Amino acid sequence: MFGLPGQGMHLHLDALSLLFGCILLPQVAAAALAGMRGSVPFWAFVLGMGLTLLAGDGFTLILGFELMSAASWLLVMQGDAKPATLYAGVAIFSAACLIPAMFLPVSSLAFVLIAIGAGAKAGLAPLHSWLPRAHPAPPAGVSALMSGGMVKVALYVLIRYAFVVLAPAQQPWWGVALAAAGALSVLIGALRAVLEVELKTLLACSTVEYVGLIAVGLGLALYAKAIGDAELSGLALQAALLCAVAHGLFKPILFIGAGEVKHATGTTSLNWLGGMMRGTPRLGMLMLLGALGMAALPLGPGFAPEFLLFHAAIGAAATGGILARIGFSALLAVLGIGAALALAAAVRLIGLGFLGRPRSLHAAAAEDARRGPFLAMALLGVCCVPLALVPGLILDLLNPVIMLLAPAAQTPPLAYAPITLLVLAGIAALAAGFAQTRWGVRGLREVPAWNGGFGRSPAWLPFGDPHTQASATGFAEPIMRVLGKGLLGTAMTDPAERFLLAPLFRLQTKLIRLAERVRRATIRERLAFVFAALVACLLALGLGQGG
Amino acid sequence: MSLTFSLAHLLGGIILLCAFLQLSQRRLAAMITLYQTEALVLAAAAFWQGYAQAEFNLYLTGIITFALKAVLLPWGLRQIMLRFNMLRAVETALPMAVSMILGLALIGIAVLVVLPVTMNAISLTREDLAIALSVVLLGLLLMILRRNALAQIIGFLSMENGLVLAAIGMPGMPFVAEFSVALLVLLAFLVVGVFLLRIREHFDTLDLSGLEEIERRGR
Repeated sequence: MFGLPGQGMHLHLDALSLLFGCILLPQVAAAALAGMRGSVPFWAFVLGMGLTLLAGDGFTLILGFELMSAASWLLVMQGDAKPATLYAGVAIFSAACLIPAMFLPVSSLAFVLIAIGAGAKAGLAPLHSWLPRAHPAPPAGVSALMSGGMVKVALYVLIRYAFVVLAPAQQPWWGVALAAAGALSVLIGALRAVLEVELKTLLACSTVEYVGLIAVGLGLALYAKAIGDAELSGLALQAALLCAVAHGLFKPILFIGAGEVKHATGTTSLNWLGGMMRGTPRLGMLMLLGALGMAALPLGPGFAPEFLLFHAAIGAAATGGILARIGFSALLAVLGIGAALALAAAVRLIGLGFLGRPRSLHAAAAEDARRGPFLAMALLGVCCVPLALVPGLILDLLNPVIMLLAPAAQTPPLAYAPITLLVLAGIAALAAGFAQTRWGVRGLREVPAWNGGFGRSPAWLPFGDPHTQASATGFAEPIMRVLGKGLLGTAMTDPAERFLLAPLFRLQTKLIRLAERVRRATIRERLAFVFAALVACLLALGLGQGG
Repeated sequence: MSLTFSLAHLLGGIILLCAFLQLSQRRLAAMITLYQTEALVLAAAAFWQGYAQAEFNLYLTGIITFALKAVLLPWGLRQIMLRFNMLRAVETALPMAVSMILGLALIGIAVLVVLPVTMNAISLTREDLAIALSVVLLGLLLMILRRNALAQIIGFLSMENGLVLAAIGMPGMPFVAEFSVALLVLLAFLVVGVFLLRIREHFDTLDLSGLEEIERRGR
């Protein structure tokens, strides 16, 4: 049929493709429910992702990958043309790295090209700055699938090549490099997620952070596999794969919810939302569930993977020489900062977007989620429950994949019992509820100014004066002062944009000027150019012969 | 070394000298005279080669060269010059000394390239080829250095002389090629003459720097 001459196309299904297929399936169903059923590019996008996962040879994989890129480019363009161009540029760059890598012999060069190509598509730092621009652009269902699914497909390509295809040539530094890139993504993504004001951009930044977490897990596993540490490689792989599963479930909930917020209020800026938990309880509760995952709080879907990841990082800090120990300890610190920042971002999302008082009439009058998107979010929410409450069972299901990726790996049982924790937390909540009903304050109470609470509603503003609440920017200000100014600079631009995109843009301007200069050359100048080339060739010939 | 070689090299040397002197001339009339001398010597070289190689075609080449390049084209060039009243000095893009140094360097390059590359060929062709390549390069340089359209044409014609010099030194070069090249030059001269008239009508000058300025600014 199609395919390279004499080779054809092959499909191949194993535990790894099955796992990523299972990650994709609920998201595709949710995105279709959320209103993308009738879109042809959407189904082409899904087909491309499926083909990539099922590919049995390099050509099929690239075909699926590029179909996915092209279809998602069309979908991004439906939302906004400006990031679509940037997105297309990144997709072409990624293809330019991946295609030669597919046909290179098994070597470190192939790994570097795969890591750059797939990493650029997954939003791994320092090639991540397109992601917070492109992912929020399309309709919510597609944003959800891009953040939850497409990124995973890019990581699937990375895993497939780094662990399976290129396994004979593996080196410890591959894992170290991957973990370093992941740590950078965690830091930048989490920090930007706290500072962004637009809901969907915030979620996209959080995606960068999660990709970083998965990359750290994969990097640790690669490192451990190369130095022959069976227990660490198993632990790190468990962490990375469970992270991918969890992110694929809670991030689409948040994106579809953000789409519903936009539908209901006409904006996704946190500075114009607030108080929606009262007006839109269904949407609010599902967003709370998603934020629970994003913050990696216990009893949420995101806790078990991050717990495992910290264990793996602690385990890695006890291996290798002094440099490795220092480096992995620093990685642990970065992961800690990332987790704290993710918690802050989730608190800010829920606290400013859904609690407090409405900051605009639109937010006050918002209607609850429509039926289709609500069903989509509820479906994903139900899928989150086993992950949150019985992660041990899901880890057992991951065992065949881990055996495929690292045959020598040992997988320890999970040292985290959410059911017990749930019972304890339930008892504590009951006690707190009882205490509040027994001794709590009922109704309104007047206290001195600046003692917390809200100002009294003026007569002309029945929902309260929005200016008596902290704004989204103001809430993030302490973090901006402590970390943001150092990492992002006063202009609050991504370092990747300053050090990668801006120089590229200047180079392009220079090249265009040069081309324009050549185009405007007079006849004599062109003649002189040809003449100079001729003389140079003659000179080279003469010197070559003479020597 | 036999008389054949010595005389062929002498004629070639005179042609090269004429081409080189064109670089140093500021006046159009002197350039045309030099071009005429160059063509005359080229015709003589063709006759001598015809005699030396006992080749009838080379006599024909000589006759064509003499009639076309030594008589007809200089006459036409002088007509254009008189008609446009261009007896005054020719401007150059570079100072004379610099252009002559460049010309010397080009001759050096030509010798450097041709002599080692053609180590195995017969000696007559080797030195003649070096001279011919130098003439071609000098003609190109003249075209680039001069702003005046007429001077550029003279550079072009001088370059073509170099090609013919290379052709007559090469035994067994078919006559058709030389004949068609000569015809092409004549046609090119006619076309360029018409162009010069048009340029003159529009801009009142044959100095192309004004045209370049318009081109640079206009787009």
